[in-house]
Parts: sequence; structure tokens; C-alpha cells
Amino acid sequence: MNEQYLSVFLDESREYVQSLNESLLKLEKNPHDEETINETFRILHTLKGMAGTMGFERMAKLSHKMEQLLDKVRSKKIALSSDLLDRLFAGVDMIDKMVNNIASGGNDQVNEEDLKSLMDAFEVVQEEKVEEKKVELETKQESDVVDDSVMKVIQEASKEGYNAFKIRVTLAEGTIMKAVRMYMVFKAIEDSGGQILSSVPPVEDIEQEKFDREVELVVIAKQDAESLHKMISSISEIEKVTVSSIMKGQGKPKEEEEKKKEVQQKAEIAEEKAPEQKISQKRRLVQTVRVDIDKLDTLMNLMGELVISRSRISDILRKYNIKEVDESLSQLNRITLDLQNVVMKIRMVPIAFVFNRFPRMVRDLAKQLSKEINFIIEGEDTELDRTFVEDIGEPLVHLLRNAIDHGIETKEERIAKGKPPVGTVVLSARHEGNNVVIEVKDDGRGIDRNAVVRKAIEKGLISEAQAESMPDEKVYELLFLPGFSTRSDATELSGRGVGMDVVKSVVESLNGTVKIESVKDRGTTITIRLPLTLAIIQALLVTVNNHVYAIPIANIDSTLNVPADKVQKLQDKLVTVIRGEIIPLVKLWEVFGLNGHREEQYYNTVIVRMGNRKYGLVVDSLIGQEDIVIKSLGKIFNDVRIFSGGAILGDGSIALILDVSNIV
Amino acid sequence: MADLSEFEVFVFGVGGQEMAFDVEHVSIVIEKTDITPVPRAKKNVLGVMNLRGRIVPVIDLAAMLGLSSKDSAEGKIVVVNYEDIETGFLVEKVRGVMRVNSEDVEKMHKFESFGEKSKGIIKRQEELIIHLNVGKILEELTMSS
Repeated sequence: MNEQYLSVFLDESREYVQSLNESLLKLEKNPHDEETINETFRILHTLKGMAGTMGFERMAKLSHKMEQLLDKVRSKKIALSSDLLDRLFAGVDMIDKMVNNIASGGNDQVNEEDLKSLMDAFEVVQEEKVEEKKVELETKQESDVVDDSVMKVIQEASKEGYNAFKIRVTLAEGTIMKAVRMYMVFKAIEDSGGQILSSVPPVEDIEQEKFDREVELVVIAKQDAESLHKMISSISEIEKVTVSSIMKGQGKPKEEEEKKKEVQQKAEIAEEKAPEQKISQKRRLVQTVRVDIDKLDTLMNLMGELVISRSRISDILRKYNIKEVDESLSQLNRITLDLQNVVMKIRMVPIAFVFNRFPRMVRDLAKQLSKEINFIIEGEDTELDRTFVEDIGEPLVHLLRNAIDHGIETKEERIAKGKPPVGTVVLSARHEGNNVVIEVKDDGRGIDRNAVVRKAIEKGLISEAQAESMPDEKVYELLFLPGFSTRSDATELSGRGVGMDVVKSVVESLNGTVKIESVKDRGTTITIRLPLTLAIIQALLVTVNNHVYAIPIANIDSTLNVPADKVQKLQDKLVTVIRGEIIPLVKLWEVFGLNGHREEQYYNTVIVRMGNRKYGLVVDSLIGQEDIVIKSLGKIFNDVRIFSGGAILGDGSIALILDVSNIV
Repeated sequence: MADLSEFEVFVFGVGGQEMAFDVEHVSIVIEKTDITPVPRAKKNVLGVMNLRGRIVPVIDLAAMLGLSSKDSAEGKIVVVNYEDIETGFLVEKVRGVMRVNSEDVEKMHKFESFGEKSKGIIKRQEELIIHLNVGKILEELTMSS
């Protein structure tokens, strides 16, 4: 089997599994949403085809069973009960499992018994209500023949008042110039404002007369079936024309018009009910290309090299002051800047990539805990660097689990408190300046301050006296300590506060921060703040012993010139007092282990913030602020904790980037 | 060594000795360039250099092998690409690629001071070339101390 196809197959299957989860969730809310039923059916159909082509028989069979089931739902033979949805969810999970098996080098083999019982479950449902309603087979066939993409266009067009028809044109026997006749049919339709969406056989074949006598067209037009029929029949040498509507109604034109109205109304209702649904459909129309992540990284690196070369060239040319070159040079600058922005943007992906899997997770969790939860996602279009996407999922899982398991009360408890019985959990993302802010908010019981304090005292983390005066904010921060927990009964789901320390460490490794806010019985909000991108940061360039180092602006509070006589020694450590605040000073050359540094009258000091504390880093001189591209120093420097990486500056030299948290 | 297979090595001079890497690991040789020292790095690590926009560590190979390096201005840096990690080794001079018959390679215990960093000695007429083990050298460099 071709590896290349396999990876495409896997990527696409995963996407389809995701879409299936999404549409099943939609159906759970609104089981009569025909558009979604159709969509689900189409996804399963495609999946079946793909799996079949790749030789994954079990997967194809399972998809087929589910597809059949949905077909029955679609044709209103059976109703979409919540039990049925559970089975479909189980089916999706099974497909997901198969995909994962295939991805890890295996095939679609899963536990045969599970598979069989699942398939049987679909079978049983199918037999249950088979006789409920007879549906005109013809309708089904019609839509089956129409291609998915064409169907989409039809749906769009119908909103703009177009009607869609299937037209079958049969030429008279012995027609000599068949292509010309057909051309006339095409032209007549187009002249009357109609559009031909597809034809069987395809247009190329018709042009080369590669068809017998019959041609089938899918057409959208503003007229009704009757006038179309009349128009085409008037063309000579045409033996027979049948015009049938693709939407629901079938056959007689008059009836059809009414049907059409109905369909349109339905569409309108659906629109009102689910505006977000419409948006998601629109997004799918954006054309995309799959790119290997490695290639993107290479592109990014090349971009870096280009920027550096450009700086070098302009440095050199500036020396000679050639007027003719100036213009081209500034143009080159502009282009590279634009290019840089584009490349940066390519690295950005919508956070929906992370958020998408949560609705399903929340649903399952809520069901398991028999809690009712209204899960709201906001700002899933917010873009962030792709490197975050891989890492931020896990912390969010922890936070959502905590919110649902510990935060949201049971229904009874909520009613007793006079709250709405359905709990609300909001997951949102937004841009704020140079940050991406992600929030998990619930309207549950809030964090019990006393319980946290009690536990902390028990564990000897704080004294009782300390606890008294501790602000809430500080108390909540205790939750981030490893192994801290408030609830004594561990649930299988979220343990006891387990994960909060993981959340913190992951977020901090991404240069971000976490904050907890909570009000008793009103709920808890956890806010994660991440820099927009990891690769490029703003930094202050400084020199120490003639070498340039970079300090991330995010860490910097201010810069100061401290006179030597304002520096005191306190227990062997240098400190200075700035506006009543004692600030420890760190001479960077000492941190770097460089001797022979002469004493100055002034200390050039960069004040950095670590948590709530400030420290002063003493340097030789300040150069200025610059955007730098962070690069890893590599494995050999793993034990050098004082640098987080390096950056190549405009003149080609390297500035090491200080990891402030490991210096102070 | 029964098999008579041939292989190619890249030969250079370090600490007054002729040494060689397996040629497939050598990606490029450049003139000695600016090296930015990295404070608190392991000994024998000279620092990092800018290799076409990439930050690549540079190792003092002579020091690493316990030889005194002859500090010459016209030093070269042999860049090795091993398991997708680039590392530069400062050497004194470069001789080039040489085809070696495995018959000519001898496991010598005389060079015990190199430990596993050497694979053996290549004997060519009068010359002795120390065949270095790139993997082991890098392993030693990335080991957490």
C-alpha cells in the first residue's frame, strides 16, 4: 500500500471522525435537523468509500451499517432517539479506534466481539421500525445521483431563489450532429439565466460526441420546470425531455412550487436556529493545502536567513551611499517584511483545532456524572502559534474536567441553591495585545477557600497565622502546588486537584501564566495567558563583557542606572532600594563566571519581574529593543539552564537569550 | 577483519595528529568563524556559531581528545550531521576524503586514552590515522553531567 495515500487517508479519516462527532452533537440537540442528518450521511458515505479503497474492510462495513441507519433516519423510517445517538457515538468511537490502530502501523482490526455487538445493535434498530412509513424511493435515488459538492451549490443557490432540476434530454434517433444539438440545449439554458452544474456524460465527452442519445443535466434556474421543459422541447431533433426537481418534490411542476416554498422555509428556520452552523459550512469552502510541518519549519528558517542576509547587504551598501541602490533596497526591505509576516501567519492556526474535541468530551463526562451541562465555546477562530496547539490541549482537558466534576454541582444541589438546574461551562479564547487569552469559566460552587487553607496547613505549607491574612488570590495559588487537593473523595475522572500543577508547568513552559478567580456559589474562572507566538519575541539587547545577550521584554519591568554608592550588601548579597522596595542585584558577568570585570561608578540595571518579586540584572550597557527569532541551542547545552535559546542578529552574530527564571 | 569492504573517511589534522570521521557524517567544512562563547557550558565546548542562519555548537576536538591544540588562525570547522543534529568541530587543517580498505583498519589498544571515541587506527603506508567514532563523541557531549 502506498504510504503517501495512507497518511492522507489517516488525516482525512481523523477529520471525518471529528466532523461526525460534531454533527452527532448537533443532532443530539436537534434530532430533526435534516441538513445535519444529510451531512452525517455523506461523511459516512465518503468514509466508507475511502476505507474500502484502502482495503480496510471492517471500517468500510461499519461505516456502511451506520450509513444505512442514517439513511433510514433520513427517509423518516425511524426516529433519531437518544439511544440511537449513543449507538452512533459508539460507532464513531470504534472508527476512531480503527484509525488509531492503522496510524500506529496496524490495520483496522479491533475487538471482534465489540464490533459485532455494535453492528448487531445497528441491525436491531433497523429492523425495529422498518414498516413505519413508506417513502418514495425515487426521491432518495434522485439525491443519491447528485454529487455532494453539487448538492452544496444547490443548497446555496436555493437560498438565492434558484430552483434545481434534473433534466434528461433524449435526442431523436439518427441525429447527426449530436454535439451541436446538445450545445443548443446548453445554450438555451444558459441564455435563460440558468446554470448547468453537472452533466452525465461530462461536457468534454459530449463535445466529442462520446455519448449515445441521452444526456442528464443538473441545472439551477429561476424558472419552473414547465417553462424549462417547453424551452428545451422547442429545440429540434430532441425526442424527449424530462424535467424533475431535485429538492424533495417530484414530478408535477405545480405541486413542486409549493414544495419548494416549504423547503425554503425550512432552510430559513434552520438558519435562525443555528447561525453557527451556517458559519461552519462557509468555512469549509475555504480552499486549503496540507503541508508537512517540517516544511513549514524549513520555510521559517530560510526566512530567518533571508532577513539576516538582507540586513548584511544593507549594512554594506550603506557604507557606499549609492543613491540608485537605496530605492531597491527599501523595496527589498518591504518585501522581506511582508514575507516574514506571511510566514508567521502560516504558522498560526485557529484554536478550533484544540477546542473541537471538547464538546464530545464534555458530553460524555456530563452523562457519566449525570449532570446537565450547557457547554459554550467562544472565539474558536482565535489564532495562535501551531506549537501551542500541540501542548495546550492537555491542560485544558484538566481544567474542563475539574470544572465539570468539582465545579458544577448536582442538579438537586443547584435547585436547592436557587440556581438554574443546568450548569454552564464556557471555554473561550481571544486576543489581547500580544497575548492569547484562554478562559475556562463555570457557574458552579466555586473554590472553597477554607478547605484549601485547611489542607495547606495540614500539609505544613503555610502556618495558621499566615492563612488568616492571605488574600484569596494567594490561597488559590496553593492549588498549583504538586499533589495539592481539596476534595477527599477522588473520582476516577479528575483525581483530586491533580493536574493543576501540570497545567501550571505546561503553561509556564510556553512562557504563559495561569490565574484563578473564584466566588463561592457563583463559579470559578481560570485564565491562561499565552504569548502570541513562541518563535519571535521582543527582547532588550544588552552587553556583558563585549558579548550581546537578549532579555525577553515580557520579563522586564524597567531599566535603571543605579549609582554605585546606592548599592548595599545585605547578607553577602547586593541589593538596592528603589522607591522603598528592596531589590536584589545580580551581576550578570558573575553569573556567567567571567572574572576581571572592572567596577564602574554606575550600575546599568535591568529590573526583571519573577512572579511578584523584582530583581535587578546588572549589565555593561543597553543596546536597544529588537524582535528576535528564538532558536534552540541544542542538546549539548541542555544543562545550561541560564539560557533559553539563541537568536541571530542583523549583523550575523549570535545573542544568547537569558532565561531569567533560572538566573535569579 | 575478514571482509574486504571499502569505505570512505574524511581526514583532518588535530593536535598534530591525523584523524578521520566517517565521510557520511560530515556535511560541510567552513573556515573558522566567529564563535559566541556560552557561559557555563561544558568544558571543551567553545560556544555557538551562525551557520547559514542556524545556531550550531562548536567543539574543541583537540581538548576533548586530551591533546593540546595548536592555536592557528587558519583553523577549520568540520560540521558533522549526526542523527539530524549539527555539530561543528574545530580542527587545524583538512586533508580531504580518503578511500580505505577495511583490511587497513586495526583495533589498537594503544590509544586507550580515547576510549570508545576511536574506532581504530587506519594504516596507510607510513601514516597512521585515528578513526574517530562520531556517535560516541556526541554521546559524551550530550551526556548530562
